[in-house]
Amino acid sequence: MPELRVVGRPVLRDDAIEKVTGTARYTTDLALPGMLYAAILTSPHASARIARIDVATARGEPGVRAVLTGDDLDVLLGLYLRDKRILARGVVRYQGEPVAAVAADTLDEARSALRKIRVDYEELPAVFDARAAMAPGAPRVHPELATYERMRGVFFPEAGTNVAHHQKIRRGDAAAALDAADVRIEATFDNPPVQHVPLETHAAIAQALPADRVEVWTSSQSPYTVRHLLAHAFGLPHASVRVHVPYVGGGFGGKAGLGVEPLAYVLSKACGGRPVLVSMTREQEFNTMPSRQGLTSTLRLGATRDGRLTALEATYVWDAGAYADYGVNIGRAAAYAGAGPYAVDNCSIDSYVVYTNKVYGTAFRGFGHLEVLWGVERAIDRLARALDLDPVEFRRRNLLRSGDTTITGEPIAVGHGSPRKCLEAVAQAIGWGLPPLPPDAPNKVRGKGVAMLHKAPAMPTNTSCAAVIKLDEDGAADLLVSGVDYGQGTYTVLRQIAAEELSLPIEKVHAVWDCDTAMTPYDWQTVASRFAYMGGNAVIAAAADCRRQLIDTAANALGVPAEALVCRDGRVCVASDEGRGLEYRQLALGFTFPNGNAIGGPIIGHGRSIATGLTNLDPETGQGRPAQFWTYGAHAVEIEVDTETGEITVLRLVTAVDAGKVLNPLLCRGQIVGGVVQGLGSALLEGFQFDERGRLMNPSFVDYKIATAKDLPREIVPIMIENPQPDGPYGARGVAEHPMISVPSALGNALFDALGIDFSSLPLTPERVLGKILEAGSR
Amino acid sequence: MLGRFDYVSPATLDDAVRRLGPGVAILAGGTDLLVDLRAGRASPSLLVDIKHVDVLQRLEVSSARGIAVGAAVSLSRLVDTLRALGLASGLAEAASAIATVQLRHRATAVGNLCNASPAADLAPILLVLDAQVAVTGPRGERVLPLDGFFVGAKRTCLAADEIVTEIRIPKLDVDLRSAFRKQQRLRGHDLAVASAAAAFSASDGLLRVAIGSCAPTPLLLPPLRVGRSPEASVDEVVALASQSISPISDARSSAAYRAAVVPVLVRRAVLDVLKEGGRPSTP
Amino acid sequence: MIRLTVNGRLETASVPAGLTLLELLRDRFHLTGTKEGCGIGECGACTVLLDGLPVASCLVLAVEADGRTVETIEGEAIGGELSKLQKAFLEAGAVQCGFCTPGMIMSARGLLRRNPRPSDDEIVEAMSGNLCRCTGYEAILDAVRRAVEHDPSPSAPRHAHSPPQKEDRRA
Repeated sequence: MPELRVVGRPVLRDDAIEKVTGTARYTTDLALPGMLYAAILTSPHASARIARIDVATARGEPGVRAVLTGDDLDVLLGLYLRDKRILARGVVRYQGEPVAAVAADTLDEARSALRKIRVDYEELPAVFDARAAMAPGAPRVHPELATYERMRGVFFPEAGTNVAHHQKIRRGDAAAALDAADVRIEATFDNPPVQHVPLETHAAIAQALPADRVEVWTSSQSPYTVRHLLAHAFGLPHASVRVHVPYVGGGFGGKAGLGVEPLAYVLSKACGGRPVLVSMTREQEFNTMPSRQGLTSTLRLGATRDGRLTALEATYVWDAGAYADYGVNIGRAAAYAGAGPYAVDNCSIDSYVVYTNKVYGTAFRGFGHLEVLWGVERAIDRLARALDLDPVEFRRRNLLRSGDTTITGEPIAVGHGSPRKCLEAVAQAIGWGLPPLPPDAPNKVRGKGVAMLHKAPAMPTNTSCAAVIKLDEDGAADLLVSGVDYGQGTYTVLRQIAAEELSLPIEKVHAVWDCDTAMTPYDWQTVASRFAYMGGNAVIAAAADCRRQLIDTAANALGVPAEALVCRDGRVCVASDEGRGLEYRQLALGFTFPNGNAIGGPIIGHGRSIATGLTNLDPETGQGRPAQFWTYGAHAVEIEVDTETGEITVLRLVTAVDAGKVLNPLLCRGQIVGGVVQGLGSALLEGFQFDERGRLMNPSFVDYKIATAKDLPREIVPIMIENPQPDGPYGARGVAEHPMISVPSALGNALFDALGIDFSSLPLTPERVLGKILEAGSR
Repeated sequence: MLGRFDYVSPATLDDAVRRLGPGVAILAGGTDLLVDLRAGRASPSLLVDIKHVDVLQRLEVSSARGIAVGAAVSLSRLVDTLRALGLASGLAEAASAIATVQLRHRATAVGNLCNASPAADLAPILLVLDAQVAVTGPRGERVLPLDGFFVGAKRTCLAADEIVTEIRIPKLDVDLRSAFRKQQRLRGHDLAVASAAAAFSASDGLLRVAIGSCAPTPLLLPPLRVGRSPEASVDEVVALASQSISPISDARSSAAYRAAVVPVLVRRAVLDVLKEGGRPSTP
Repeated sequence: MIRLTVNGRLETASVPAGLTLLELLRDRFHLTGTKEGCGIGECGACTVLLDGLPVASCLVLAVEADGRTVETIEGEAIGGELSKLQKAFLEAGAVQCGFCTPGMIMSARGLLRRNPRPSDDEIVEAMSGNLCRCTGYEAILDAVRRAVEHDPSPSAPRHAHSPPQKEDRRA
């Protein structure tokens, strides 16, 4: 391969100029003529019958244009399972569920009218614990579950229960292998629901237009999914729904599905087509918008005396909250990744996604893997200990390598990423095997831990993506895609790829920033760490299409065969005589001969990519091919614990990810450091707390704390490994979610090293750590 | 919009006091008041902005005359002044532990007390420094010890028509050492899970300790005379602290954790002030 | 009627007492670079300089800004030329989704205005009132360090009400 000019370099992102000057426009920065403002009334109860809603007074309040309740709307929404209404109808299923909405001339008018709405509730039995919700006789969150429309063949709700999906993985004979194992361990682990906390809350503007058309501006990760789901829910042709995505202030999975767009749309319709802005307050973002699901895992692992992992049995019980949303797919994806990156011939996993009367779950960076691997990677350490083996050595002996098969029967081929290299890199960087430096105070102890991570994009078997490149009069290129760059930097990477492929300087490749389903070509969703991979391949194809068109026109213009021509440095030239050629700008709109005759025409290249070789999983055994590629990684961490207060100081955190090819080291580092710090939030700080009536006790930044600049590890060391992905653009694979996964596991393992105490519940707050220390001391 | 109310910003204390009464809220830094307005927890009909009252901007810090902090003095001004003069390091520590830079530029020391949160960071340190509050109302000025100012969670002994004009620490012995320790959920800005302040002056040999966030009001322990064996005094005051608190469980912490860290915070604060040469490096 | 200087320009507005400075800037003056992230002063996204000091504009009433000077992100680049601070944010890779960025830059500007040679601890302290969920902060802190290095002697005015200064407050 010739030396790369642009790909692999730390190109600066072009959107940053607008972002540092305050000119970048996010959804709530837009103001459409005649725009109205919405306010939303939410349920104070976790489970209740709506006996009566009186909106008459609110309707007469100054400035009010429309008041809606669930009785006005008969639409069921859902990604995989249509179980959710825009506004609760008849019953509320979680505290914070929208019950009524007002659109008014000003936000203040909307809010004051909201206070005039009277709702009478009759509280119903509720269930808050997912395992309790599986018990016979538990209150049913959705008695009508069996009637819901769903994606068949992929998701399997159990009628008459709270189970929205049951995913099975069966390989070998786990029960027999556990019986036969020389050493066994069993343990249970917990993760609480956690919020995404994008700095920009959910917001959307919708305008209902004549002839059943609708235009939407939304803070979303997935313009085409918003379009499809709106079209589907309201029975509109897709072309009648136009979705714009301006700059998005972070998403992390929380803006992957349908958010507040449907409410904005129905309000606009109710107001005779005035545009309506729905923007969530931070408290509503916590109380009303979806979070990461809670998980309780029970794991049984068995190994031979010589340290071979022979059996893994797992029960994963996901706390979906009140609606299925992405939760059912998380229960599926985390199950097929639910044995970690290890070769284990006997595996049995049951993953249940269970409704409860709490705020519902959705996709969150890592898509269930952080939660599942919290248990698996802690259990692997415990098994190593039971075997009296070093945890790194035990992992080394059991990591997947070429020739192995995964628990879904997928062969690990050559060209796979290397979990082993990641492990060795972090072990070396942390000084594994060397004792930690002694702490500087008698009340402090230190410890080290490692953890592995892996994840494949969790996406439909037919996921696809397109890119368009059009050339400008000056020979520059405009890149159009519909994946969203909501901060991760993919547009910059795609510009680099286009610049490389078109032989243009990076300055001459422009990303078109506002996605618009009427203008920018299809992409599924911007989730699953597959945008650089699939978008990159689509851009390579689109650039090739441009080159073909350029060369075709140039061949006619120059009177030489197309095969003799190449694209180089913004020109099409004769390969053997580079002085002879034409600049792109002479070809971009078509070539004009000196006499005025013209040939060719505007150059617009199109490229596409689609998932290849994926299959649905067998409903009974989970066998099949779910992964387009696997990205592997590892963390190693050294911590210090204050044994009097339970506080943890992260001294050093090393993260290795096998990126295949680092397309932009600056952006890649940004993903690793940002992901690690977010992972530390899950490890040390974050989690919803509910009271006994299912009310969220920490729905604001006062009591839901995310890391600040003071909470960083003393040192973060990113290590980028490059085993090329054969079908990835320049060998690249996705790395965006991965740095977050298994950060808690590494911390938990280091805590054991420091204290000799096993922690099984997150987050590892000072309170929890000290509690265990005191408990251990009193024994 | 934070609600419908009137706003005045009087230039004199008399004018400000004249306007006080039921349904009137005093606006100084606003970092608690505006949050309460937004949440609908407060709905006054009038806000009296006291920042233009010159006397309330008074900030005096000297070892000879003690400390006076006017009701409109921001926390950042207080911290910068104390640090520049190298005085009352425990007070500087406590004031800088409140919220964020942005909020400390607005929030006032007096407001921190008047909000009367059990978790108010300035309360324990001001209690151990024997602070007083000067209160002005239609009946004139009264000066009362801070111990007794708090009468319950979020409640003070102020009448609706009274205003705290100043915090005063009449005496600042040259050898007075003070320290503040705060337990948070993270290193970034947070309310105190629990806090402890200590002050010790070799000249009178008295050790004062106060605890925050562990009772309906900040808690001042009886002063303890430090004898020949400072270690014994430390143990004694730690034990006393543990017996005196009545922590509750909330979203921030369990009662058990508060009870477990209070002895640690008290011990550390006390060691800070008893140790030769002021505050040692943080353990 | 209030009169205030915003990014060097005298502005007047008739406002109800309940209007926040953030609402005044965004809704009346259309300076939408300043963001609302929480509305309760916890996240720093709405940070602006009020008489040179960084404050949370969601917790300042518009009427309180009467007669005072407000600086927002829109005033940071002069004549289309990015400031050294803005360039440092670009070069350090300190920007991801960008929603926290204006507030971050205003916090950094407030720090450098008062303290042109901040120590590392002072940088962390000054920036820690601004939440960011994307970057993990490292690149943001690097950007501020870069801006300090690039700018050995910034000659920004110090506000008259500034509290007493010390060269190095850790000393």
